[in-house]
Amino acid sequence: MRRLVPAVLSATVLLAGCQGGGGGDTTGSNAAFDPKTCQGGTLTVLNQGGITHLDPARLYTSGGGNLPSLLFRTLTTRNRQPGEAGTKPAPDLATDLGTPSDGAKTWTYHLRDGIFFEDGTPITAADIKYGIERSFAPELPGGAPYFRDWLAGAADYQGPYKQPGGIKSIETPDDKTIIFKLRKPEGDFPFLATATQFAPVPKSKDKGAEYEAHPISSGPYQVESYEPKKSLVLVRNKHWSTQVDELRYACPDRIEVTAGLDSAVINQRLVTGAGQDANAVTTDAVVGPEQLAQLGTGSALDKRVTRGEFPSTTYLAFNTKKAPFDNPKVREALSYAINRTSVVNALGGSAVAGPSTTFLPPQKALGYQPYDHFPAGDTGNPDKAKQVLAEAGLSNPTIDLAYQNDDSEGIGPKVASAVQEAFKQAGVTVELNAIDTATYRDVTGKPATQPGLALATWGADWPSGGPFLIPIFDGRQIITAGGNFNLAQYNDPEVNAEIDAINALTDPAAAAARWGALDAKIGKLALVIPLTHEKDVYLYGKNVKNAYADGWRGQLDIARISIK
Amino acid sequence: MTGYLIRRIGGALLVLFFLTTLVYGLFYLAPSDPAILTCGKGCTPERLADVRAAMGVDDPIPVQYWHFLEGLVAGRDYPAGPDVRHCPAPCLGYSFETDQPVTTLLLDRIPVSFALALGAEVLSLVFGIGAGMLAGLRRFRILDRVVNALILAGYAVPVFLVGLLLLLLFCVHLQWLPFPTYVPLTTDPLLWAQNLLLPWVSLAIIQAAVYARLTRSGIQETLAEDHIRTARAYGIPERRILWRRALRGALLPLVTLTAIDIAGIMTGAVLTETMFGLPGVGQLLVGAVRQIDLPVVVGVTLLTGLIIVVANAAADLLYAAVDPRVQLR
Amino acid sequence: MIRVLRKDRGFVAGAVVAGLMVLVAITAPLLAALAGQDYTTYHDTLLDSARGGVPSGPLGGISGEHWLGVEPGTGRDLFARLVYGAQVSVGVALAATALEVLLGITFGVAAGLGGRWLDAGLSRVIDLVLAVPILVLAVSLLAIVPQDWPRPLLLATVIALLGWGGTARISRGETLTLRTRDYVAAAQVSGASWWRVARREILPGLTAPILTYAALLIPYNMIVEAGLSFLGVGVRPPTPSWGQMLSSATTWFRADPLYVFLPGALLFLTLLSFVLVANGLRRALDPRQTEVPR
Repeated sequence: MRRLVPAVLSATVLLAGCQGGGGGDTTGSNAAFDPKTCQGGTLTVLNQGGITHLDPARLYTSGGGNLPSLLFRTLTTRNRQPGEAGTKPAPDLATDLGTPSDGAKTWTYHLRDGIFFEDGTPITAADIKYGIERSFAPELPGGAPYFRDWLAGAADYQGPYKQPGGIKSIETPDDKTIIFKLRKPEGDFPFLATATQFAPVPKSKDKGAEYEAHPISSGPYQVESYEPKKSLVLVRNKHWSTQVDELRYACPDRIEVTAGLDSAVINQRLVTGAGQDANAVTTDAVVGPEQLAQLGTGSALDKRVTRGEFPSTTYLAFNTKKAPFDNPKVREALSYAINRTSVVNALGGSAVAGPSTTFLPPQKALGYQPYDHFPAGDTGNPDKAKQVLAEAGLSNPTIDLAYQNDDSEGIGPKVASAVQEAFKQAGVTVELNAIDTATYRDVTGKPATQPGLALATWGADWPSGGPFLIPIFDGRQIITAGGNFNLAQYNDPEVNAEIDAINALTDPAAAAARWGALDAKIGKLALVIPLTHEKDVYLYGKNVKNAYADGWRGQLDIARISIK
Repeated sequence: MTGYLIRRIGGALLVLFFLTTLVYGLFYLAPSDPAILTCGKGCTPERLADVRAAMGVDDPIPVQYWHFLEGLVAGRDYPAGPDVRHCPAPCLGYSFETDQPVTTLLLDRIPVSFALALGAEVLSLVFGIGAGMLAGLRRFRILDRVVNALILAGYAVPVFLVGLLLLLLFCVHLQWLPFPTYVPLTTDPLLWAQNLLLPWVSLAIIQAAVYARLTRSGIQETLAEDHIRTARAYGIPERRILWRRALRGALLPLVTLTAIDIAGIMTGAVLTETMFGLPGVGQLLVGAVRQIDLPVVVGVTLLTGLIIVVANAAADLLYAAVDPRVQLR
Repeated sequence: MIRVLRKDRGFVAGAVVAGLMVLVAITAPLLAALAGQDYTTYHDTLLDSARGGVPSGPLGGISGEHWLGVEPGTGRDLFARLVYGAQVSVGVALAATALEVLLGITFGVAAGLGGRWLDAGLSRVIDLVLAVPILVLAVSLLAIVPQDWPRPLLLATVIALLGWGGTARISRGETLTLRTRDYVAAAQVSGASWWRVARREILPGLTAPILTYAALLIPYNMIVEAGLSFLGVGVRPPTPSWGQMLSSATTWFRADPLYVFLPGALLFLTLLSFVLVANGLRRALDPRQTEVPR
């Protein structure tokens, strides 16, 4: 009964970076793998959450469990490698990662030759522009918000249905060239260009809200049938070939996705592997305790597992405008008191979650630098917490903790009770304040209704420090009318200036080092208490080959596995 | 008869109207905004207002409700990008979450819930009447006691507990069956039945207890009646008395109940469907409630109300048909 | 009557167990204290984190300290959680039943004693309540009420508001019968007030049928509460309830079977004992009655 949430908000995520190069399990089966001879068969995908929207304008950056990129080619795409190599973007429809000019405020792309839609029409720069314009339409909500902020003069654009004139700051001088004019420097542009809103949409086939019943494919597969949240059947797109796409291997002839299944059922079926289930994978059902008991015992199951990590942090967010959390001593005291072991256990144990003392998750691509400013040990340091509380002039205070009323996103009653227990050891009484999951971000994202202390989770829309730190700590991102993620309501001009400076960098390595330093610096203020980063372990069927967790998202990359 | 029908239909419409108004009103009193969920992450207030307008939730509640009723009777048009989408009557609107027409969603799921209820009903009739007969005839004291105990136990178990135990026994311990996953009848009838077996049995165990009790007391009452005694005095064979008269007298009232019971199982199957992952109407409701998907919640409520109302009417007609003494007034 | 009941072995057994459960519910804090445990404290050291947080050791971590083991994932004491769970199950069921009886008698007697129009109007309302799909509406209702309302009370109220139709129907029927009796008619003619007639003449006659029906309502309401908790719209953590334990137990089938078995067995035992009590009462008080909550 888990629901699928945009990757950023998702609790069930995985990790490849930490396994010493990652994808350790691919080496065995990979030795004889040849993408040229891998074709054939029907792949089954068994998932919990289904795809609620298949429209490229409505999909979130990493929504849909790695499936949308089988249909939609974008200017750039994920590099589709395990480990660190997988955290980089790679050219897809474009010939390269883009040419920045004007201090990274202008980005120019050229399209490669020989690219077609599923009906044989050639893909042009105008199709990509039209696809982006659609994502601004209020009739097609749900996509990633960044572009509305970045693109010059586009904040008020209402989409091509109401304003057919289009966006002036996207230029298409010819069929092969597309130029983006931004209102500020953005070195991360090649990362954003992997999002499905950069997929081409032929204007003549656009049916608005009904387009998603059969979106026109530019990738290796096309839609045979689609039922939201239930099923998706993909068959080969005859107008796509490996000649013009080196990144997707597209081995199975047919892919059948069944969603809405229970996680225990999925894993049971993968273990048993009867019939068609031998050709099955999952992209969202993390293993449960039943399978964990069998893993690592040298059983046959050990060879059918991927371990990955999606950059994501679960944390406690203080509202520093509310007493007593306006007092840094109180925030520090609670940081000392936290018991990360019990939070890890509440989330499913050490196989699927790890303790975090930093806000950035432990991945090099994001600029991770270890620090532990308020050491709480494994299980909390209540004595130190009491001492710091006394320094703040508070003893045995009572505080409210907001959390979601179910555990579907990993910030529900299980974790809340664990936090309540840990603070109790330090003499702090926690009143639990359950908020309906569906309205949770509405309540916490409006400073007028935001509680003093709330459970929160944040994931990277792409593997870089920017999308991880900016929405949370950039003071200019505080939105008073709702949709705010800077829950600390922290606004330091110095930090804002450093963010702008890093954004202008087009070298990811240089940017990463400075994001990491910024995280460590902000960490001293105890604006948040990082709790855990998430790891995930997925099983796959007996016949599945070349299965590994990609470094970008930590899931199986369906574009590369084979069942032959 | 005509007067009866008019009153009956009028009453049914009243019930349905009341149910819809209740759910509609309650959901809008709840402090949540469906547009926020749809709009997604990083939604600015300006965009939120646009999305709200596109979803048709920016009007005052009574106006929205009026549009809803209009759509139900006459259909309505929705703006959808380049064209307009027409939703034919009876229009229940589009799901906030997936944008599918609610009527399509319901039609898609009714067969699953119906198959679940029908199968469970057949099983429980067979087992319930069988057990009730054994107990009612008082031939074997031990059997009698066992059945009585089972009847009591049937009252005392929640369906999800039965389901859990069955799963534990047949799927985990004995491994005779795989974990149920719904397979449509049209795909593979055998797999369909195999996957519905445990849900059917879970529901049937409880429903059978009701039928067993009714059959038992029915038989005992009829056996005590005068005409049976007379028949016995005339030397008619005991077996014939039993089959021809006692059973008939006991079973007739039961038959009239089946329509209501199928409706009851269908509308009460939320738990069974959730537990076994069956994509029926109940599972649709649980998901929709979580997502504040108002059109779907109202649609499911209306549908369940309709099923119950229709079943009650069917039961009355059936009763009048089998028992000539009853007159519909 | 007492003598009849005392001879009914099923009733006696049921009454003893049911009484025991009520006692457990009332003394839950005491029992937990006796075990030296409470239902909120986490015991991470007792869990095997690498295996998803199952209790270390056999039988769900049963030990001298934790008599029935600990909860997987948290290490909270199961004995304490189970006895506190009784509070929710028994408490909500009893409160809901009491409220249903109150509502049912009020509406039923008013309909039975009132004039033609009042009776017609109230009968429509009663029919409406009887036609409402309880689980469907309860799930919707509980999901939208503010989360900070006191949950057990809310559960009892919602269950009662959707479930008083049966008691109302019985009350109305009995009132209509009693009304034709001479002494009631005489009282009405002599100008006694409604209230007086209802209290003096009708209510005593209602005792047996309502008591019989209400006894069966208790286990029925208990099932509804457990079902709602199972669906995740019941009580809020850290308050334990048997239904909610059973719903989280689905992921621990094989890893920790005891965690499925204990709340399941307790729930069944409690329900069975209340059903036996109801069954005995029916036989002794009102054998004709066939009305059953559904």
